[in-house]
Amino acid sequence: MEIKIQLTNASICERLPAPTSGVGAGAWVDFRGVVRGEENGAVIAALEYEAYSPMAEMEMRRIIAELAGDHHCLFVRVIHRVGIVPVGEAAICVGVAARHRAEAFALLAGFMNRLKQDVPIWKRRALTATELTELKTK
Amino acid sequence: MRVLFFAHLKDITGCAEMNLPGGDLDADGLWQKLIEAHPGMEQVRASVRLAKNSEYVGRDACFTDVDEVALIPPVSGG
Repeated sequence: MEIKIQLTNASICERLPAPTSGVGAGAWVDFRGVVRGEENGAVIAALEYEAYSPMAEMEMRRIIAELAGDHHCLFVRVIHRVGIVPVGEAAICVGVAARHRAEAFALLAGFMNRLKQDVPIWKRRALTATELTELKTK
Repeated sequence: MRVLFFAHLKDITGCAEMNLPGGDLDADGLWQKLIEAHPGMEQVRASVRLAKNSEYVGRDACFTDVDEVALIPPVSGG
């Protein structure tokens, strides 16, 4: 199984290509987690993400390899954004290719659960529209 | 050893990292030194996990001068 992990400050909203190495794939499941317009009941304009990058990448790779023992997949790609992520934009994009959809859905669900328990990435702070504008004009 | 702080731990310590000299430490010894340097860390100790050289370690871990130690508060990625 091929695993690609990337942490980036850049937008990941553009359309991502299908896997090139998923020969034999009958399913390609694509998931995006986007920033909601409210956090803890307050209206926000963006979230700032922080990561311990080397460990986050290693931990994601380890989790995927472990899950693949139960859910055999062909290809997994994870892109997680760090820094300021405006509302409506993707903070994470996960693509999973497998021979059949059941394995791809299962690995994806398991990965997202484990990500939120073990991968050292944090929502550092929520920004209001005013704070986001001030940040952009600096 | 190099000790890294993340998320709200930076607010508690006022820094992103610190150097802890003084040779080998077990996890309890590490926490003792951290709390001496940053008393506010005591309140978050129960919720913070330790990582050594980018891997989670348990309470029986030992740390040497060449290790990179990270204090990992509850994560919230995705």
